[in-house]
Amino acid sequence: MSNSHLFLKSGFPRAPLQNGLGRYVCQLQRITLKFCKNNGSSRGMRDFIENHLVDFAKENPGIVVYVKPRRHRTPVLVGEYLNGEREWMSCRNSTQEEISKWIDLLKTQNGSSSSLRLRKMWHTDVPSIQGPWTPFLLRSPDAQGQVYPSEDASKPLETPQTATEKLIELFRQQQLEGGNEAHEVLNKKRAE
Amino acid sequence: MSFLAQAVRQVLRQVPNRSLSLAGAMRSLSISPAVGQQNKLATESVDISAIAKDQQKECQSICERINRQVQKSEQGRLFAVVHLCGKQFKITPGDVILVEGYWPPTIGDEISLDKVLLAGARDFTLVGRPILEPGLVSVKATVVEKTLSHTKTHFRKKRRKQYMRINFQRSPHTMVRINSIELARPVDGEAPPSEPSKRLF
Repeated sequence: MSNSHLFLKSGFPRAPLQNGLGRYVCQLQRITLKFCKNNGSSRGMRDFIENHLVDFAKENPGIVVYVKPRRHRTPVLVGEYLNGEREWMSCRNSTQEEISKWIDLLKTQNGSSSSLRLRKMWHTDVPSIQGPWTPFLLRSPDAQGQVYPSEDASKPLETPQTATEKLIELFRQQQLEGGNEAHEVLNKKRAE
Repeated sequence: MSFLAQAVRQVLRQVPNRSLSLAGAMRSLSISPAVGQQNKLATESVDISAIAKDQQKECQSICERINRQVQKSEQGRLFAVVHLCGKQFKITPGDVILVEGYWPPTIGDEISLDKVLLAGARDFTLVGRPILEPGLVSVKATVVEKTLSHTKTHFRKKRRKQYMRINFQRSPHTMVRINSIELARPVDGEAPPSEPSKRLF
């Protein structure tokens, strides 16, 4: 099992020099294609140079392209970025399509990315605008001066009337309605 | 209590405030115990149309206040929650967000994020249900970088079965810079009549 990730650097996403806030600046400045003129491992690179390299250079006037033939060495792609980083990539035995894909990747990235594990997919300079949430947000100020344990706070919000309470209430009502009559009835009963 | 909740719901349906709901207005709708008790005492005397009118008035006054603030440009920095490639991001101008997986836009593309779930400033919040009306909030962004993630190891092993596989993979990442978040038109104003859009959603 590979444990290489244990020693991988981790970080947070950031774009260099506020890129993209005003206008976008391509971060790739120079690209060097090294290849051999007669070795078989450079065949894809030679095909790419023959067919697509001029188009690539025309499409991207901001990128300087160097082509460097050298005898009996593997083909190599080197990209140099605005932040000073340099990305080296071996293209041994790769085809023309693969090479154009890798060149596209070199063009679209901001520096060599393979060495950083991202901890977040989001970066902000202003983490909160309405203020961070607290438990007292949108609560009535009474809750702050509350002394615990308090009877009011520990009661359930809505308690239904119990049967006993209902009976007592009915009885009271009767007493009020009946007034003295009820008392007389009671007295009579007691006398009996 | 439940009766009152139902009444309020009906009222909400009657209020012709379309897809915009205001956090402040919603907060005032939450039923306090005092209101519940009043309802118990006089269940039959609830006037639904009066409640509806009150709600409408309150909504209008809140909208007016928001519009005035935006007109004077005193609202300060705006933030929004947008839905992008299956994930939701809370963004404010100047933020950088990363989209994982294949996503066609290339570097230098300026895009507008249309699925705005929520937009807010210091003093107000506009909550969509589920998204705000298209054209109400304009969120502009630029694609800054397209790259690959670090090499992830995918390792499988079954004990005592002579089975072991190891794969390595790198997934594409796209970095997006948020340029601006703006309120495009007054909050409660009518949407300008437009031809049916070519949007997919």
